[in-house]
Amino acid sequence: MSAPMWGVRLAAVIPRPGRSRAAAYLLIRVSGLLLAVLVLGHFALTHVVTDVAETDSAFIGRRWASALWLLWDWTMLGAAFLHGGAGIWVLIDDYTTDRVARRRRRTALVVGCALLWVVGSTLIAAAAVD
Amino acid sequence: MSAIQAAFVVALVGVLAAVTALALVVVRAALGGDGAPYPTRRLAARMLRAPEERAELNRYAFYAHRITGVAIFGFLCLHGLDVSAYTVSRSLYDDLHAVYGSAPMRVFECGLLAAILFHTFNGLRILAIDVGDLGAIAAQRLLGGVLVLTAVLGAVGSAVILAPLFG
Repeated sequence: MSAPMWGVRLAAVIPRPGRSRAAAYLLIRVSGLLLAVLVLGHFALTHVVTDVAETDSAFIGRRWASALWLLWDWTMLGAAFLHGGAGIWVLIDDYTTDRVARRRRRTALVVGCALLWVVGSTLIAAAAVD
Repeated sequence: MSAIQAAFVVALVGVLAAVTALALVVVRAALGGDGAPYPTRRLAARMLRAPEERAELNRYAFYAHRITGVAIFGFLCLHGLDVSAYTVSRSLYDDLHAVYGSAPMRVFECGLLAAILFHTFNGLRILAIDVGDLGAIAAQRLLGGVLVLTAVLGAVGSAVILAPLFG
Protein backbone atom coordinates (compact mmCIF):
# COMPACT_ATOMS: atom_id res chain seq x y z
CA MET A 1 0.00 0.00 0.00
CA SER A 2 2.98 2.30 -0.38
CA ALA A 3 1.94 3.46 -3.88
CA PRO A 4 0.14 6.83 -3.87
CA MET A 5 -3.60 6.39 -4.23
CA TRP A 6 -5.83 9.40 -4.91
CA GLY A 7 -2.86 11.53 -3.96
CA VAL A 8 -2.75 9.99 -0.46
CA ARG A 9 -0.22 7.48 0.77
CA LEU A 10 -2.47 4.97 2.47
CA ALA A 11 0.45 3.56 4.43
CA ALA A 12 0.65 6.88 6.24
CA VAL A 13 -3.01 6.70 7.23
CA ILE A 14 -3.63 3.03 7.94
CA PRO A 15 -1.56 1.59 10.79
CA ARG A 16 0.38 -1.42 9.54
CA PRO A 17 0.01 -4.54 11.62
CA GLY A 18 3.63 -4.82 12.64
CA ARG A 19 5.57 -6.36 15.45
CA SER A 20 4.66 -3.65 17.96
CA ARG A 21 0.96 -4.29 17.36
CA ALA A 22 1.42 -8.03 17.85
CA ALA A 23 3.35 -7.31 21.05
CA ALA A 24 0.61 -4.99 22.32
CA TYR A 25 -2.02 -7.61 21.45
CA LEU A 26 -0.16 -10.28 23.43
CA LEU A 27 0.63 -7.89 26.29
CA ILE A 28 -3.04 -6.93 26.77
CA ARG A 29 -4.23 -10.54 26.70
CA VAL A 30 -1.53 -12.09 28.89
CA SER A 31 -1.74 -9.31 31.50
CA GLY A 32 -5.54 -9.48 31.30
CA LEU A 33 -5.54 -13.20 32.02
CA LEU A 34 -3.25 -12.61 35.02
CA LEU A 35 -5.44 -9.76 36.29
CA ALA A 36 -8.60 -11.85 36.01
CA VAL A 37 -7.19 -14.00 38.82
CA LEU A 38 -5.20 -11.38 40.76
CA VAL A 39 -7.80 -8.57 40.82
CA LEU A 40 -10.84 -10.75 41.50
CA GLY A 41 -8.83 -12.48 44.25
CA HIS A 42 -7.79 -9.10 45.68
CA PHE A 43 -11.37 -7.78 45.62
CA ALA A 44 -12.77 -10.96 47.16
CA LEU A 45 -10.17 -10.81 49.95
CA THR A 46 -10.73 -7.13 50.78
CA HIS A 47 -14.53 -7.01 50.43
CA VAL A 48 -15.96 -10.51 50.85
CA VAL A 49 -13.58 -12.55 53.02
CA THR A 50 -12.76 -9.43 55.10
CA ASP A 51 -15.15 -6.52 55.56
CA VAL A 52 -13.68 -3.45 53.88
CA ALA A 53 -13.80 -1.47 57.16
CA GLU A 54 -11.38 -4.01 58.67
CA THR A 55 -8.74 -3.76 55.94
CA ASP A 56 -6.81 -1.23 58.04
CA SER A 57 -3.06 -0.85 58.52
CA ALA A 58 -2.97 -3.88 60.88
CA PHE A 59 -4.58 -5.96 58.11
CA ILE A 60 -2.00 -4.74 55.56
CA GLY A 61 0.80 -5.38 58.06
CA ARG A 62 -0.32 -8.99 58.59
CA ARG A 63 -0.76 -9.59 54.88
CA TRP A 64 2.54 -8.03 53.83
CA ALA A 65 4.43 -10.11 56.38
CA SER A 66 4.10 -12.87 53.81
CA ALA A 67 6.37 -12.83 50.75
CA LEU A 68 3.62 -14.49 48.72
CA TRP A 69 1.22 -11.55 49.23
CA LEU A 70 3.98 -9.06 48.42
CA LEU A 71 4.63 -10.96 45.20
CA TRP A 72 0.86 -11.10 44.47
CA ASP A 73 0.46 -7.34 44.96
CA TRP A 74 3.60 -6.40 43.05
CA THR A 75 2.67 -8.62 40.09
CA MET A 76 -0.84 -7.18 40.16
CA LEU A 77 0.53 -3.62 40.23
CA GLY A 78 2.77 -4.20 37.20
CA ALA A 79 0.15 -6.13 35.22
CA ALA A 80 -2.51 -3.50 36.02
CA PHE A 81 -0.43 -0.57 34.75
CA LEU A 82 0.71 -2.50 31.66
CA HIS A 83 -2.85 -3.58 30.86
CA GLY A 84 -4.50 -0.26 31.73
CA GLY A 85 -1.76 1.79 30.07
CA ALA A 86 -2.00 -0.26 26.87
CA GLY A 87 -5.80 0.09 26.95
CA ILE A 88 -5.73 3.89 27.40
CA TRP A 89 -3.06 4.04 24.65
CA VAL A 90 -5.59 2.47 22.27
CA LEU A 91 -8.28 4.96 23.36
CA ILE A 92 -5.88 7.86 22.75
CA ASP A 93 -5.16 6.46 19.27
CA ASP A 94 -8.87 6.10 18.53
CA TYR A 95 -10.13 9.43 19.80
CA THR A 96 -7.26 11.86 19.14
CA THR A 97 -7.01 12.94 15.51
CA ASP A 98 -4.41 15.67 16.00
CA ARG A 99 -0.89 14.26 15.70
CA VAL A 100 0.73 16.65 18.17
CA ALA A 101 -2.01 16.17 20.75
CA ARG A 102 -1.75 12.41 20.33
CA ARG A 103 1.99 12.44 21.01
CA ARG A 104 1.48 14.71 24.02
CA ARG A 105 -1.22 12.47 25.48
CA ARG A 106 0.82 9.32 24.88
CA THR A 107 3.77 10.89 26.71
CA ALA A 108 1.54 12.00 29.58
CA LEU A 109 0.12 8.46 29.81
CA VAL A 110 3.52 6.75 29.86
CA VAL A 111 4.99 9.23 32.36
CA GLY A 112 1.90 9.02 34.59
CA CYS A 113 1.83 5.21 34.58
CA ALA A 114 5.58 5.02 35.23
CA LEU A 115 5.30 7.45 38.15
CA LEU A 116 2.40 5.59 39.77
CA TRP A 117 4.17 2.26 39.22
CA VAL A 118 7.27 3.66 40.96
CA VAL A 119 5.12 4.95 43.85
CA GLY A 120 3.45 1.54 44.23
CA SER A 121 6.71 -0.38 43.90
CA THR A 122 8.37 1.84 46.52
CA LEU A 123 5.46 1.12 48.84
CA ILE A 124 5.77 -2.64 48.39
CA ALA A 125 9.57 -2.52 48.60
CA ALA A 126 9.35 -0.56 51.88
CA ALA A 127 6.96 -3.19 53.23
CA ALA A 128 9.31 -5.97 52.11
CA VAL A 129 12.24 -4.34 53.97
CA ASP A 130 10.18 -3.98 57.18
CA MET B 1 -13.88 14.73 58.23
CA SER B 2 -10.09 15.09 58.39
CA ALA B 3 -8.03 16.86 55.72
CA ILE B 4 -6.71 13.63 54.20
CA GLN B 5 -10.23 12.18 53.99
CA ALA B 6 -11.47 15.35 52.30
CA ALA B 7 -8.55 15.17 49.85
CA PHE B 8 -9.46 11.57 49.05
CA VAL B 9 -13.11 12.43 48.44
CA VAL B 10 -12.13 15.36 46.19
CA ALA B 11 -9.76 13.09 44.25
CA LEU B 12 -12.45 10.42 43.91
CA VAL B 13 -14.94 12.98 42.58
CA GLY B 14 -12.22 14.11 40.14
CA VAL B 15 -11.70 10.51 38.97
CA LEU B 16 -15.46 10.04 38.52
CA ALA B 17 -15.66 13.29 36.52
CA ALA B 18 -12.76 12.20 34.30
CA VAL B 19 -14.32 8.78 33.74
CA THR B 20 -17.68 10.38 32.87
CA ALA B 21 -15.96 12.75 30.42
CA LEU B 22 -14.16 9.83 28.71
CA ALA B 23 -17.37 7.77 28.66
CA LEU B 24 -19.07 10.70 26.90
CA VAL B 25 -16.27 10.74 24.30
CA VAL B 26 -16.81 7.01 23.68
CA VAL B 27 -20.59 7.33 23.49
CA ARG B 28 -20.49 10.42 21.26
CA ALA B 29 -18.06 8.74 18.87
CA ALA B 30 -20.28 5.65 18.91
CA LEU B 31 -23.42 7.60 18.04
CA GLY B 32 -21.82 9.80 15.38
CA GLY B 33 -21.15 8.90 11.75
CA ASP B 34 -21.43 5.21 11.02
CA GLY B 35 -21.55 4.27 14.69
CA ALA B 36 -24.35 2.60 16.56
CA PRO B 37 -27.94 3.77 16.10
CA TYR B 38 -29.70 5.79 18.78
CA PRO B 39 -31.57 3.67 21.33
CA THR B 40 -35.03 3.87 19.74
CA ARG B 41 -37.99 1.52 19.65
CA ARG B 42 -36.75 0.21 16.28
CA LEU B 43 -33.43 -0.68 17.83
CA ALA B 44 -35.20 -2.43 20.71
CA ALA B 45 -37.19 -4.47 18.16
CA ARG B 46 -33.97 -5.37 16.35
CA MET B 47 -32.43 -6.59 19.60
CA LEU B 48 -35.20 -9.19 19.81
CA ARG B 49 -34.22 -10.78 16.49
CA ALA B 50 -32.36 -14.05 16.02
CA PRO B 51 -28.89 -14.04 17.62
CA GLU B 52 -27.01 -14.04 14.32
CA GLU B 53 -28.75 -10.78 13.37
CA ARG B 54 -28.02 -9.06 16.66
CA ALA B 55 -24.57 -7.72 15.91
CA GLU B 56 -25.42 -4.56 17.91
CA LEU B 57 -25.05 -6.36 21.22
CA ASN B 58 -21.41 -7.14 20.44
CA ARG B 59 -20.86 -3.50 19.62
CA TYR B 60 -22.40 -2.28 22.87
CA ALA B 61 -20.26 -4.81 24.74
CA PHE B 62 -17.23 -3.23 23.00
CA TYR B 63 -18.21 0.26 24.24
CA ALA B 64 -19.03 -1.03 27.73
CA HIS B 65 -15.61 -2.73 27.81
CA ARG B 66 -13.92 0.60 27.07
CA ILE B 67 -15.93 2.58 29.62
CA THR B 68 -15.52 0.01 32.42
CA GLY B 69 -11.81 -0.23 31.57
CA VAL B 70 -11.37 3.53 31.94
CA ALA B 71 -13.32 3.51 35.22
CA ILE B 72 -11.21 0.70 36.70
CA PHE B 73 -8.00 2.40 35.52
CA GLY B 74 -9.13 5.67 37.12
CA PHE B 75 -9.73 3.96 40.44
CA LEU B 76 -6.42 2.08 40.14
CA CYS B 77 -4.55 5.40 39.92
CA LEU B 78 -6.33 6.76 43.00
CA HIS B 79 -5.95 3.48 44.91
CA GLY B 80 -2.19 3.39 44.26
CA LEU B 81 -1.93 6.82 45.87
CA ASP B 82 -4.25 6.21 48.83
CA VAL B 83 -2.46 3.00 49.88
CA SER B 84 0.80 4.99 49.74
CA ALA B 85 -0.37 6.77 52.89
CA TYR B 86 0.65 3.51 54.59
CA THR B 87 4.34 4.27 53.98
CA VAL B 88 3.96 7.78 55.39
CA SER B 89 2.42 6.57 58.63
CA ARG B 90 0.08 3.80 59.78
CA SER B 91 -2.25 6.22 61.55
CA LEU B 92 -2.50 8.44 58.44
CA TYR B 93 -3.52 5.36 56.45
CA ASP B 94 -6.09 4.29 59.05
CA ASP B 95 -7.57 7.80 59.07
CA LEU B 96 -7.81 7.84 55.25
CA HIS B 97 -9.03 4.25 55.06
CA ALA B 98 -12.04 4.99 57.29
CA VAL B 99 -13.64 6.49 54.16
CA TYR B 100 -13.78 3.02 52.57
CA GLY B 101 -16.21 1.80 55.22
CA SER B 102 -18.62 4.74 54.80
CA ALA B 103 -22.02 4.23 53.18
CA PRO B 104 -21.45 6.25 49.96
CA MET B 105 -18.05 4.59 49.45
CA ARG B 106 -19.60 1.13 49.87
CA VAL B 107 -22.13 2.00 47.14
CA PHE B 108 -19.22 3.11 44.94
CA GLU B 109 -17.47 -0.22 45.67
CA CYS B 110 -20.55 -2.10 44.42
CA GLY B 111 -20.33 -0.17 41.16
CA LEU B 112 -16.60 -0.88 40.98
CA LEU B 113 -17.29 -4.59 41.51
CA ALA B 114 -19.84 -4.62 38.67
CA ALA B 115 -17.34 -2.85 36.37
CA ILE B 116 -14.56 -5.31 37.28
CA LEU B 117 -16.82 -8.34 36.80
CA PHE B 118 -18.09 -7.20 33.39
CA HIS B 119 -14.62 -6.20 32.20
CA THR B 120 -13.09 -9.49 33.40
CA PHE B 121 -15.70 -11.83 31.91
CA ASN B 122 -16.03 -9.86 28.69
CA GLY B 123 -12.23 -9.85 28.40
CA LEU B 124 -12.16 -13.62 28.85
CA ARG B 125 -14.90 -13.82 26.19
CA ILE B 126 -12.74 -11.82 23.74
CA LEU B 127 -9.85 -14.17 24.50
CA ALA B 128 -12.10 -17.20 23.91
CA ILE B 129 -13.31 -15.73 20.60
CA ASP B 130 -9.71 -15.35 19.42
CA VAL B 131 -8.29 -18.60 20.78
CA GLY B 132 -11.31 -20.77 19.94
CA ASP B 133 -11.95 -18.95 16.63
CA LEU B 134 -15.61 -18.57 17.64
CA GLY B 135 -18.25 -17.27 15.26
CA ALA B 136 -20.95 -14.66 15.80
CA ILE B 137 -23.51 -17.00 17.36
CA ALA B 138 -21.12 -18.50 19.92
CA ALA B 139 -19.80 -15.01 20.74
CA GLN B 140 -23.37 -13.83 21.28
CA ARG B 141 -24.16 -16.75 23.60
CA LEU B 142 -21.00 -16.10 25.58
CA LEU B 143 -22.05 -12.47 25.95
CA GLY B 144 -25.27 -13.68 27.54
CA GLY B 145 -23.15 -15.71 29.97
CA VAL B 146 -21.01 -12.64 30.71
CA LEU B 147 -24.10 -10.57 31.56
CA VAL B 148 -25.62 -13.29 33.75
CA LEU B 149 -22.34 -13.84 35.64
CA THR B 150 -21.88 -10.09 36.12
CA ALA B 151 -25.45 -9.68 37.41
CA VAL B 152 -25.37 -12.69 39.75
CA LEU B 153 -21.87 -12.23 41.20
CA GLY B 154 -22.42 -8.45 41.31
CA ALA B 155 -25.64 -8.86 43.29
CA VAL B 156 -24.09 -11.36 45.72
CA GLY B 157 -20.96 -9.24 46.19
CA SER B 158 -23.00 -6.06 46.64
CA ALA B 159 -25.14 -7.75 49.29
CA VAL B 160 -21.97 -8.69 51.20
CA ILE B 161 -20.48 -5.19 50.82
CA LEU B 162 -23.67 -3.38 51.88
CA ALA B 163 -24.68 -5.81 54.66
CA PRO B 164 -22.79 -3.97 57.49
CA LEU B 165 -24.87 -0.84 56.78
CA PHE B 166 -28.00 -2.70 57.81
CA GLY B 167 -26.67 -3.98 61.10
